[in-house]
Amino acid sequence: MINRRRFLNISGRTMLGAGLASLLPRQLVAADNSFSDYKCLVNIFLYGGNDSFNLVVPTSNAEYNVYAASRQNLAVEQLDLLAINPDNSDGATYGFHPSAGALQSLFEAGDAAVIANVGPLVAPVTKEQYLSGAASLPPQLFSHNDQQAQWQSLKGDASLATGWAGRIADQLAAETADQLLALNTSTFGTNLFQAGAVSIPYSVSTTGANTYGAFGAEAALGAERRAAFESHIDSEFGNVHARALAAVHKRSLASADLVNQALAQAPDLATVFPASFLGAQLNIIARLIAVRDRFEMCRQIFFVGAGGFDTHDDQNELQPGLLSDVADSIQAFQLAMVELGVNDNVVSFTHSDFGRTLTSNGDGTDHGWGGHQIVTGGPVNGRQIYGQMPVLEIGGDDDATGGRIIPTTSVDQYAGTLAEWFGVDTSALGTIAPSLSNFTTSNLGFV
Amino acid sequence: MRMVLHSIYRSMFVSLFALALGACGGGGGGESSPAAPQIPAPTPSPTPSPDPPSGEIDISLAEGARFLRQASFGPVEGDVVSLQTTGYEGWVDNQINAPASSQLQHLSALPPPENGAEGRRNRLEAFFKYALENDDQLRQRMAFALSEIMVVSDQGALSNRPGGLASYYDMLSEHAFGNFRDLIGAVTLHPAMGVYLSMLGNEKPDAARNIRPDENYARESLQLFTIGTVELNLDGTPRLDNAGQLIPTYDQTVIEGFAHVYTGWTFGGSVRFNRPSRDYLVPMQAFSSFHDTSEKKLLNGVVIPAGQTPEQDLTDALDNIFAHQNVAPFISRRLIQRFISANPSPSYVERVATVFNDNGFGVRGDLGAVIKAILLDVEARTSVAGGIGGKLVEPLLRLVSLWRAFDASAPNGRYIYPQPNNDFGQAPLRSPSVFNFFSPDYAPAGELSDQGLVSPEMQITNETTTASVNDYLALSIYIRNSNATTLGNQAIRIDIAPYLALSGDPEVLLQRMAEKLTGGVISSELEAEALAMINAIPQDQPAFRVTEAIHQIVSSVEYALIE
Repeated sequence: MINRRRFLNISGRTMLGAGLASLLPRQLVAADNSFSDYKCLVNIFLYGGNDSFNLVVPTSNAEYNVYAASRQNLAVEQLDLLAINPDNSDGATYGFHPSAGALQSLFEAGDAAVIANVGPLVAPVTKEQYLSGAASLPPQLFSHNDQQAQWQSLKGDASLATGWAGRIADQLAAETADQLLALNTSTFGTNLFQAGAVSIPYSVSTTGANTYGAFGAEAALGAERRAAFESHIDSEFGNVHARALAAVHKRSLASADLVNQALAQAPDLATVFPASFLGAQLNIIARLIAVRDRFEMCRQIFFVGAGGFDTHDDQNELQPGLLSDVADSIQAFQLAMVELGVNDNVVSFTHSDFGRTLTSNGDGTDHGWGGHQIVTGGPVNGRQIYGQMPVLEIGGDDDATGGRIIPTTSVDQYAGTLAEWFGVDTSALGTIAPSLSNFTTSNLGFV
Repeated sequence: MRMVLHSIYRSMFVSLFALALGACGGGGGGESSPAAPQIPAPTPSPTPSPDPPSGEIDISLAEGARFLRQASFGPVEGDVVSLQTTGYEGWVDNQINAPASSQLQHLSALPPPENGAEGRRNRLEAFFKYALENDDQLRQRMAFALSEIMVVSDQGALSNRPGGLASYYDMLSEHAFGNFRDLIGAVTLHPAMGVYLSMLGNEKPDAARNIRPDENYARESLQLFTIGTVELNLDGTPRLDNAGQLIPTYDQTVIEGFAHVYTGWTFGGSVRFNRPSRDYLVPMQAFSSFHDTSEKKLLNGVVIPAGQTPEQDLTDALDNIFAHQNVAPFISRRLIQRFISANPSPSYVERVATVFNDNGFGVRGDLGAVIKAILLDVEARTSVAGGIGGKLVEPLLRLVSLWRAFDASAPNGRYIYPQPNNDFGQAPLRSPSVFNFFSPDYAPAGELSDQGLVSPEMQITNETTTASVNDYLALSIYIRNSNATTLGNQAIRIDIAPYLALSGDPEVLLQRMAEKLTGGVISSELEAEALAMINAIPQDQPAFRVTEAIHQIVSSVEYALIE
């Protein structure tokens, strides 16, 4: 059986006890697990800047011709596009990249939606404002790490060291106080998205929690060695880096065996995940979700990542593999959620550094700004395109310059919508998405 | 508090500490003037003593080991004694003059790899072999540091190009103590970089086809390799405009200017632009007909004229970058972070950047002078107060220093360790992206972030990696050692034979192991815990006792830190 007292040291609990909880009104602290339902968000971050203008493409002749004229040798053939039939229409028709058949199926079944032309914004920006320099903009547009940080933190033009999932965990600390694992778990290592002011994310590998072999029961003196090490990492280190490292050791040791014991009892999934790193990450998440009750989890946010989307070169060769991995992995995850009976509780959504230039550099594309994202899961009001599809014309109204498309929906709106579904009080959404009040629509309605 | 086990060394340590304090108050405390470009004086010599003539007798075992953990892949037996003879500066000078090891040479001595995995494995073997065996330690550390700043990787298009990557690494070694301008020239024209950041094959614009030059190398070389995104003061702090705002170093038009500069280049020795030689061992060459000849906007308002050759444009563009005021503080801070401290004081950065700008002989960009200034600075040679100094040792380098301390080798003479990234979250030239395994600005949430401090290595330190790092270190100590009888021919094992005789006296044993790993520095808490563990092992298991002593130190938090 699980030792309850041990659990209290897991994840952010200890920190919480010493930190946020003492600042909260008593009735909030007492309101442990005020959520009676289970909700889960899965952020699939496509590192490098996914060329989503080739993922969702207009199929109607007029719009396709504009796209093809811009995209030239990087355009997907009109007849190859996989048609979708959204319930809402802007007059044009659209299709998915031929490698994203799995997404087409999800979309058509009502389990997926497209969020059109979303990107980091401080406030709505017109082309004129952008060109005149009058617009308030997130700094260092077109730079990978700066824009990844924008997506993950929503810091806009301010300074912010936490991520929006980290702030959700902080915000819901009282309501999730009985959870025995951190609200935030990553299969892609350290990330800004899940960094909280108080809450601390947890990291697992694609096989579960990594363990310290020298401390195991099968190692001679393993238990004694573990006790000595636990005493060591409890030392009062005088150096700030040492304290940081010791804290990770503590969290790792506190959770690993329990996580693995729970996973060992997870049901075998019939769903087969792609053999990719992304597939493996979503697979372990599905298994963690399967054993959520052992950890009394009512709210979870997972972070997974995939790389290789910075297609400056060989885009036509690379993109099919990249997009099929995303599509097939998302579909497998969705099937696993159905299999586990939690399809109505879990929403997965994509993030990426930026969209890419409509112009080509010969055989690839460069760093853009806005792009499309995909949301899937039972709670999603699917088979719809949310926001406005941009005009894919070089020099057109949506082109900042050089085929970099100005976003018409902000990441704050995108994240705020997800946060509200997740259970963040509307009055607190500004904490999660600081620029949200600069936009007229605070909830995009896709979930 | 740290203490030194051995009383002789303790007294030496105390006397050095007193000297260092004197030096700090006398020479290092004030702001150095940017107008007086001088190599900062190292810790002043003590009052002349009769022997040895170098006057460097004040380097204690602890101080010597600390220096060698900072500047090499870790001390081996005899290194500190040798350092005590040469002194810090003499050691650095010797290292600068030592011939460079060549990874390419190692690869060519091996049978051709039968597949991609074997080629990648062989390239990593060269890294481990030289880190463990060769004498050009500082040069190899410098190449490793540069490989984490000017990143290329075998993850992606270069996965089956071990020769090209070894050649790139050799190029970094070759230029490690040379001039920064030559270094960025060689980096820019190396075909591995050309492929990795897609300058190779980049063509002039073709408006009719909406094709414009690739911006990849243009952007990342400015952002990550040379100047960064915002204007810096000489001391590495950001410059602010009158409104208190950060000042961008470039805008999109400058990126486009550089992108146009970097057109027309392909593999060296190609007959035609579109018939590339795929020779990864020679610098790229230009074909004028694929080069854009319009005028180009560069940094600081500089515009280079239309009609230049690809080579002229490239020279002008790299000169323009090299002349930028950010280069000195940008590179100085990054190198300090790789060797000494995650959070160097502004005055430390300024002292090093001042040497970058003028090595004392009117030369800008002398990396040999820069690394010497970094290693000999008072902030490197003494501990910083307040518990914010130093840095975490990169996880992989903890393994390498363990192996060095205990003379690790495999019976087959090889160093076969194909996937260190799976255990340590890093491997030479295997970063997931050009942004390296960790960012120089990474700050975990909490105490570090709250204080405005960074800890780059913490970006690859999470619940998953602390366990896998610890696990591999334990494997490398308890299982793969000279006492084991069932290991495969290629298992790299540490040599514990010389220490088995010490196992009867746990205190002596632990002290000896600490001397080898940290120059004898071990906290009293860790000492007590380690002794209890060693004493729990029956005396008739000497190998277990020795490996326990080693593991207690190597797995500790304090061994992962050089303060």
